Amino acid sequence: MTSPSTNANSSWPKSLRDPSTLYFQKTSVKRSIIKAYWTVIICAIPLWWYTTSIQRLALPTSRVHSETETLHTLPVDVCWEGIPNGLAEPVRKELVQRSLQHKERWNGLTLEPFRYGNCGDNTLIIRNHNGPESIHNQVLKISVEKHVRKDGTYSRHVVDLLEDLLAPVVDASHFNNLAVQYSSRYRLSFSLLNEDSAAGDMISGWNIEHALRVHITPLLEDLSSLHNFTIESQVQFHAPLAFRPAASDGYWGITREDLNVFVNSAEWILSSSSSNDHVLHFVLFVPSLNARPLYILDNNGQSTESNSFLLPQWGGIIIHNPSSPSHQPLPPADLRLTFATFADQLSALLGIPQLPPSIKQLPESGHHVLSKWQMDTLLRRRTIENTIQTRETLRSIVNLVDQIENMPVGQDVKDDVENALSAYTEMWTGSKSLIDIFTLSADAFNLSSRAFFNPGMLALLYFPTEHKYAVYAPLFASAIIPLFVSALREIVAWKKERKDAKNGSSVDHTQGTDTPNTS
Amino acid sequence: MPPLRVFLWPLTLLHLLTVALAANTETFNERLSLNSLQDGKVAAKFTFTTLLKDGKPRDPRLLEREDESQHFTIFPLALGQILRQYGVTELHLNLNAGKWNYDVWGSPEEKGVGTGGELWAWLADGANTSIDERWKGLRNALAGLFCASLGSLDELRTTIPSRAFSPEGSLPHWDLPHHIRHGSLPSENVCTENLTPFLKLLPCKSLSGIASLLNPHRLFDADWHGMGVHVLWREDEGIEVRLTFQSVFDPLRFSNGRIQDWSLKSLFNRQVERACPVAESSEILVGLPHAIYSIKPEPSSIRHKSAVFDVNTLEKPLDVSLHWRNPFQYPLVYATPSTPISIRRTLTGSSQAWGQLSVAVTNNREDPLSIIYLETMPWLVQFFLHTLETRIDGALVDNVISNLTYTLPIPHSRPTTLQMLLTLPPKKTVYLTMEVTKAFLRYTEHPPDAERGWDLPPAIFTPVRFDNDTVVPLSDERMYSSVLLADLATPDFSMPYNVIMFTCSLIAFVFGTIHNALTRKLVVVPLTDDKAKENEKNTEGS
Repeated sequence: MTSPSTNANSSWPKSLRDPSTLYFQKTSVKRSIIKAYWTVIICAIPLWWYTTSIQRLALPTSRVHSETETLHTLPVDVCWEGIPNGLAEPVRKELVQRSLQHKERWNGLTLEPFRYGNCGDNTLIIRNHNGPESIHNQVLKISVEKHVRKDGTYSRHVVDLLEDLLAPVVDASHFNNLAVQYSSRYRLSFSLLNEDSAAGDMISGWNIEHALRVHITPLLEDLSSLHNFTIESQVQFHAPLAFRPAASDGYWGITREDLNVFVNSAEWILSSSSSNDHVLHFVLFVPSLNARPLYILDNNGQSTESNSFLLPQWGGIIIHNPSSPSHQPLPPADLRLTFATFADQLSALLGIPQLPPSIKQLPESGHHVLSKWQMDTLLRRRTIENTIQTRETLRSIVNLVDQIENMPVGQDVKDDVENALSAYTEMWTGSKSLIDIFTLSADAFNLSSRAFFNPGMLALLYFPTEHKYAVYAPLFASAIIPLFVSALREIVAWKKERKDAKNGSSVDHTQGTDTPNTS
Repeated sequence: MPPLRVFLWPLTLLHLLTVALAANTETFNERLSLNSLQDGKVAAKFTFTTLLKDGKPRDPRLLEREDESQHFTIFPLALGQILRQYGVTELHLNLNAGKWNYDVWGSPEEKGVGTGGELWAWLADGANTSIDERWKGLRNALAGLFCASLGSLDELRTTIPSRAFSPEGSLPHWDLPHHIRHGSLPSENVCTENLTPFLKLLPCKSLSGIASLLNPHRLFDADWHGMGVHVLWREDEGIEVRLTFQSVFDPLRFSNGRIQDWSLKSLFNRQVERACPVAESSEILVGLPHAIYSIKPEPSSIRHKSAVFDVNTLEKPLDVSLHWRNPFQYPLVYATPSTPISIRRTLTGSSQAWGQLSVAVTNNREDPLSIIYLETMPWLVQFFLHTLETRIDGALVDNVISNLTYTLPIPHSRPTTLQMLLTLPPKKTVYLTMEVTKAFLRYTEHPPDAERGWDLPPAIFTPVRFDNDTVVPLSDERMYSSVLLADLATPDFSMPYNVIMFTCSLIAFVFGTIHNALTRKLVVVPLTDDKAKENEKNTEGS
């Protein structure tokens, strides 16, 4: 066995003696293979990106910002009828002055146009009338001559009156706290609660259908352009309180602190939860025979005349101490009183403005209970409320989407935002009737809140990028390293070749016969 | 508005009159019946019935329209609104815990005693929304109302067993087809969180009347307990809501197995302190035993071998007690079961992929008996119907089964419904056997605590009556078999990351090898003489 290697070498095929002559060992082929790998990877990156990324459609961010930053004003159309020339002018000037001074109160309202003479059907009319001040539908009758003199002086009374009617005192906090937020649907739930009927002397029922027809339905019909209402009622025979009323001489009392915890929601089911509508609760509470009469105490611990109270945005409660021992339905006199109070509480909860005490309301035609002055003021107030809400909601969505990069934005969210924005823009273009403006504001508000609460926006919030990479790492790290290494090696070799080729043609090409002609 | 008020005064008076006349549009009756069982236990059943006189189920064609206002006095508002929202004609919900021992305890007063949750409803077609959507809404609403996980009673468990069930009340003549939807959830047990909302539906809650005896500490300590909600429409009366609670107490447990005396105080740890003022009738019925006993206080009346106590009139606090003169002896042999049939149902086989369902039905009567056998099986256990065999005394028979209907399961979406009419010869036991296969589930389809296995719903056996060649199921006498537990192949739940790691390593390995082979540069290493010699030595040495 001598020099086996040389022997073998000579008998081996050429490709084994010089592997560079193999087809796949040609530098160009090898480089094409590496290039092919990289081409596939680079081409696949967009596909991978598309399939793993969250759908984030672009929201009209700049439009939202520009639209919501411009402050718009809502015109109040008041017309003076049958008033000698020039008499109304000083009053108008003073009102304009006040609307500029009391910005909080006039919140976005302007007194333009302010017209004289021929008034249409849709405006608020101030008519000169010598007699008691009264209001009927759209007509306010006041004696202008009594308040305004020819020399331009006027009594504060008329200006105060108009201001109270057009922009009632609602400091923002009061309105926001007491009246419920605007919703196109409300469920009204009326409950007659006997604290403990087994103790005896309970109220066994009430003629609610009749009472609703007399006291509540006319009001709801007037408001039908703003809200839809569903009504339900029930009677409960055991509705224990969560606290013990304080016993006094011959009566029981509820302190101011107790009123906060009066509603015992653990024990009372006050409404069916069959829909997501906002519920307004009206409760007639009949104390147990053992804790009667029950009064609300004032801060000094003395019983007060009032027996009803409002829980802001929640509903109203009346405490009813039956006058005569009975086992009967609620007597008609008590029923009337109860539902008159419920109607007042409902008006307060829905933000219906009260008329100033000096004005007498003449019976409205048909079944109406609200004058056009009140309706218009309410519509304007709700419009402004919706406008503010829409503005804030739209801005919040845009900011939120900007801040949280994992938050998906689907087509429905985008559509809702765009529709809300266009409804919002539409409100301020052209001249529209108040009711149209209100409808648009309600649309804008509903769409913007629907976009804000879209459940699709939460979908991927809890699936952070780190998790994704934890899954990818075992695959990509181990596959990419050889790719990089081979590519680097080839690049280094190619550079070296180019350098050698530059340095001179004298260098022999020992390795293979083919030179790189492509790169 | 004084003018308006003046005008309305006569109207008010008129209305008062009508109200006084129609004051009793809603009535409430409550009843507790207590019966001693032959093994010394005591079966208690509370029934609270509210009738909404002249009420009608909501016509499904009007579901899209705004509903009229609902004014209820005694009728539970929360439940009433759910029924109206989904246009439900009839509804039955049972939540039970434990196995009802038919052979010893006899037939229960309220028939729905299958272990776990069971819900079925009759709904009329004709609404814009499909029946299945309304059924889904109903399930979710009831799940919310009763704090039960009825939401998981989904399409995987919903069946349409129209042959085995008939409506308990009447169906309105709307010229609309009525359909049944049925679902059982054997793993759902009843507990305090279900009882609390149940009590809130009662006009007197648990504060007065018979309902004050519903003490959760004692009820859920009982050997068997279950609650039921039944809504039905009676054509000439109105809508009836029947809320029931049944339990089986064991007084012997507290007395070393000798004394079976009981009283309301000993069973519920409560007495009836006050009557419910709105209950039209409020009765406690005690079944009188065939032995020497004494009962206190003096019953108001005796009716059908039961002592009746009228809670409204008797002196309070009321505590009914029953005392036996002789100590209790466990019977060596129990009397022949009073139920028409006895059922045993088992799933045999140790494999996680295969098994055999075997059902033994014994006819306890002297006459042949026809019975509808209903299996509503989730798709994860699938039948091989061709292997269905019936044997009597070990011999194959082929005249037992007739009229078989079979709805095949669809994996991941629909359960099996198997209904067949069995004709049982008198005093014989029929053995049915069938091979089954168990599904291999997706990783996400396993429930929490997957190792426990899957609870399978009970089979339902409904005796039938033949009415001019049509088979009429007597739903009121139906019986439930015990539930089964199927052991399915369960994965290692730490698996996903392992799988990811393993697959990735494999892919990386294959990829690396191929890539390496394709891009490796092969060179010939010329061996110098020294190295060649070294090589030679190595080869000689080896």
